[in-house]
Amino acid sequence: MSKYTEDDLKKELETQEYEYGFYTDIESETFPIGLNEDVIRAISKKKNEPEWMTEWRLDAFRIWEQMEEPEWANVRYEKPDFQAISYYSAPKKADPNKTLDDVDPELLEMYKKLGISVDEQKKLQGVAVDIVVDSVSVATTFKKTLAEKGIIFMPISEAIQEHPELVKKYMGTVVPKTDNFYAALNSAVFTDGSFCYIPKGVKCPMELSTYFRINEGGTGQFERTLLIADESSYVSYLEGCTAPARDENQLHAAVVELIALDDAEIKYSTVQNWFPGDKEGSGGVYNFVTKRGICETNAKISWTQVETGSAVTWKYPSCILKGNNSVGEFYSIAVTNNYQQADTGTKMIHIGKNTKSTIISKGISAGKSQNSYRGLVQINSRAANARNFSQCDSLLMGDQCGAHTFPYIEAKNSTAQVEHEATTSKIGEDQLFYCNQRGIDTEKAIALIVNGFSKDVLNKLPMEFAVEAQKLLEISLEGSVG
Amino acid sequence: MELKEKLVSSFLAFENKVEVDIDSTVHDIRSKAFSDFESKGFPTKKDEEWKYTSLNAILKHDYNVFPKSEETLAYKDVKKYFVNETDCYNLVFIDGKFSSFLSETTHDGLDICVMSSALTKPKYKMVIDAYFNKLAGEKNSLSDLNTAFSHEGAYINIPKNKVVPKPIQIINFSTGNEQEILIQPRNLVIVGENAHVQIIERHQSLTSNTTLTNSVTEVFVNKRGIVDVYKMQNDVETASLIDSTFVSQQRDSVGSVHTFSFGGKLTRNNLEFYQNGEHCVSHMNGISILNGKQHVDNHTLVEHKAPNCESHEMYKGIYDGNSTGVFNGKVIVEQAAQKINAYQQNNNVVVSDKASVNSKPQLEIFADDVKCSHGCTIGQLDESALFYMQQRGIPKKEAKALLMYAFSNDALKDVKIPELKTKINEIIAKKLDVKIGFDL
Amino acid sequence: MLKIENLQARIEDKEILKGLNIEVKAGEVHAIMGPNGAGKSTMASVIAGKEEYEVTGGSIELNGEDISELAPEERAHAGVFLSFQYPVEIPGVTVTNFIKSSINESRKAQGLEELPAKDLLKKIREKSELLEIDRKFLSRSLNEGFSGGEKKRNEIFQMAMLEPKLAILDETDSGLDIDALRIVANGVNKLKSKDNAVIVITHYQRLLDYIVPDFVHVLHDGKIVKSGTKELALELEEKGYDWIKEELNA
Repeated sequence: MSKYTEDDLKKELETQEYEYGFYTDIESETFPIGLNEDVIRAISKKKNEPEWMTEWRLDAFRIWEQMEEPEWANVRYEKPDFQAISYYSAPKKADPNKTLDDVDPELLEMYKKLGISVDEQKKLQGVAVDIVVDSVSVATTFKKTLAEKGIIFMPISEAIQEHPELVKKYMGTVVPKTDNFYAALNSAVFTDGSFCYIPKGVKCPMELSTYFRINEGGTGQFERTLLIADESSYVSYLEGCTAPARDENQLHAAVVELIALDDAEIKYSTVQNWFPGDKEGSGGVYNFVTKRGICETNAKISWTQVETGSAVTWKYPSCILKGNNSVGEFYSIAVTNNYQQADTGTKMIHIGKNTKSTIISKGISAGKSQNSYRGLVQINSRAANARNFSQCDSLLMGDQCGAHTFPYIEAKNSTAQVEHEATTSKIGEDQLFYCNQRGIDTEKAIALIVNGFSKDVLNKLPMEFAVEAQKLLEISLEGSVG
Repeated sequence: MELKEKLVSSFLAFENKVEVDIDSTVHDIRSKAFSDFESKGFPTKKDEEWKYTSLNAILKHDYNVFPKSEETLAYKDVKKYFVNETDCYNLVFIDGKFSSFLSETTHDGLDICVMSSALTKPKYKMVIDAYFNKLAGEKNSLSDLNTAFSHEGAYINIPKNKVVPKPIQIINFSTGNEQEILIQPRNLVIVGENAHVQIIERHQSLTSNTTLTNSVTEVFVNKRGIVDVYKMQNDVETASLIDSTFVSQQRDSVGSVHTFSFGGKLTRNNLEFYQNGEHCVSHMNGISILNGKQHVDNHTLVEHKAPNCESHEMYKGIYDGNSTGVFNGKVIVEQAAQKINAYQQNNNVVVSDKASVNSKPQLEIFADDVKCSHGCTIGQLDESALFYMQQRGIPKKEAKALLMYAFSNDALKDVKIPELKTKINEIIAKKLDVKIGFDL
Repeated sequence: MLKIENLQARIEDKEILKGLNIEVKAGEVHAIMGPNGAGKSTMASVIAGKEEYEVTGGSIELNGEDISELAPEERAHAGVFLSFQYPVEIPGVTVTNFIKSSINESRKAQGLEELPAKDLLKKIREKSELLEIDRKFLSRSLNEGFSGGEKKRNEIFQMAMLEPKLAILDETDSGLDIDALRIVANGVNKLKSKDNAVIVITHYQRLLDYIVPDFVHVLHDGKIVKSGTKELALELEEKGYDWIKEELNA
């Protein structure tokens, strides 16, 4: 019988190769491995940083040295040896001031493979892109178009030089150096990332996008993103991540800080597809990321993420709802397969009055993977009339995987209204038979059901990203389904 | 920590004082438990399981570990704490010591008696070897502490096919004879194959002297056995209770534990269910109604180890005054446990601005063919319903109470002893300071 | 069209079909009636290829080809449509998207291009009018939160969209009020042609007032024990099934 069973699917999933697992041979300049104050000074010097920045890094390093790697997350992995990583790797030909025409053709070829077109096509779609390979930004498009509106969108290394007052004022205010182990490490060694400032009253006319890629082996990537939306402004920001397939684990420890001033709105979308390791569970990226935003009065921050990659993920994009009437949203799809482990979720800290938050989290586990949702909803005593709605659903495929839900709900105000719902289920045999009977084969039926399951979140992504995300979802779970 | 040091020195004295055990088994269990406690110490807020409950305030007292005199109580003075219109077996303990005068035990076809005999008399040796501390061992440092000092409590052993004709009532009184007292009751309940038993448990202080009770109950339910446990917690504001109840179920058994927390300074209920055979059903219901500075922490765990089982959990909380409530529910479905239905509900109403709630409903699923869900809500009473009732002439206070009744009723409907249900209703009414002329 | 010979099937260890024979020609409507537990729904599921049932003997031919070894979707591509007694919910997948996948998968199997969106929409409009289906309904998740009547109407709507050769309606009348029954029956009647065939499985004669069968069969204990015309259905309604059992035992 030519029946496509779940076993067949599982087999196919196992043999499914990581589509972006190619390595581009670009000449790089890489620091020797190891971490100490000299290395930090060297990074800072390499970037021509002002003294205050060097000191800031050193301070973070000293804090980090006192800290211990956290163990509370529901993930098991071999702790990285922080002295065996190179903390700086730059494609040699990179020059922050050059235009796209100057970009290494090999790099452009790589982007093509990644499916990101840094060309006119993007212009038509109205997307400005900053690309970070390994540790440095190699190209930022449409700087000029944006500059006309007063929008600053550039590598953070440049922003430190050109807009030190903004960087100084905001960096570390949402994620302090002392926040956690990885954030402290990032603060000490970050080499690049994106900086964005939207002036008062400006609605950013195009989607801003950053593409991150780890290319060189044995390097860590520590990018730092700082995004400031001044009063009554609006921006939609996209972030994509890939890495080549390698045997050893690569470390990615980023920090993203969002600041939404009064009446501002930030929409931050991520499609994360770091190399998840092979089907035996070797290799893959350790993704330990701290993402947090702060909302002033009437401001809104919306996080949307589609997480399909990384061997180990540790990530909780959060909102501090400080201002009255501010709104926080978190929409997430996390897919784990083979030996992947994800511990992800969000924190919604309600401080201001009439603050509202929504959490929609969809976890899909397959293979031998473990997928955990961990979330905190905290209503502080002054947060009168705070509202939260959370929905966490898990879908299981196969009997070797696990799905876990760890919500923390803390309410200190009698006017708070919190609703949390969670379900765990599998794809039902009866659902599959129904689809089969209507002529849809099992593989396609699973794709259909998974898409239906994830729809609430996919709908929140900007159009073109949603298509990419949907494709990614199918790739990570189904393979040939298109 | 001072209390810890005191316990260390008391342990040797205790070991010397208790009646000589028939052999070294129980002694070994106690010693092991004590060294486990010694190395772990009392839990602190750094422990994930104690994140929302601090023991600091209740551990700083100078507790007397060994009450000096045996106190007698007149039945008429404590009658109101009994479910007394229903005929019951009674096991009454005063300041940790068994009161034969207030008790009614039996050995007629079933054993309803005291732990102190079970732990020392040869005829119980086989049962003690098979069951004692098999569930509570190495679970948490407070159960270890209880095990180390385990001596007195209820011993209930129901043989195969026996339906116990009346409920068993276990009441622990503290008289206030001691300024500050630590009581550590230890109960063992064995429900034989196809046997059925109902148990009511209560801790009660008679004065406002400080009492800390650290109680451990082990319940074993064999094939097709049915057990209902009702925990009544309505103690005075100087009494604190740490209760750890462990239930182990074999196939086709049904275990239910109902926890009603209305009083006491600090109450921590650890309730753990282990399903070891197919087609087990576990029920956990709880109602907490708090005011003043009360704190209740309901911690539950269900471990589904076998396929085709169910668990149903429903906890309701109403928080007034400066009270704080915690719900921490964990459901674990192991890989072998396919076709599990697990439901967990936690609903809370915060009445006052100073009250707070922390809820942590967790699912850990390692099997794929399961249906699990949990829901948690924190909210207020429905204003429009209140107004509707007021418009129909029901005063606001009564209207509120009515809504709270309705809110908690889901968790009350499974109480199978009518008199107990009435008593609980009365306590709720009193707690809400209203008169309600009907049963719900 | 459909030829079933000596069909035997079981689920786990329980024999349910014990030598079933039936032949349905193009253009015909057959009704299958019988008491609870006779094997009516099993027969429908076995024709559609549900995995849980093990076929232990006999054959199922569709247009001369044995389909008993085909996967459910291959049978669907060959033109078998089963209107489920209990249609399944698929959260997040809209009726329109589901139909689109369904039609295009069948076309793909037949080596055809995907149906252009314009044509698909036109067809959807046409067929939804036929079944008096509100357009808002089409953007709802498949069967999720549908009333019993809506689910059944949605089944017949899909049948209209897929234009099967052989439609099996398993208790399509259960849970329908009289208006819904009329709409559904009307839809089926309009879809009927000389090139396709319909098998109506029902408990009651009521549906047969609307969808008039050419033949009526009584299924009992896994076999067809009596066949006749429309009048047989009326007789069953009046007298129940006991007289057939008695006749058999006699």
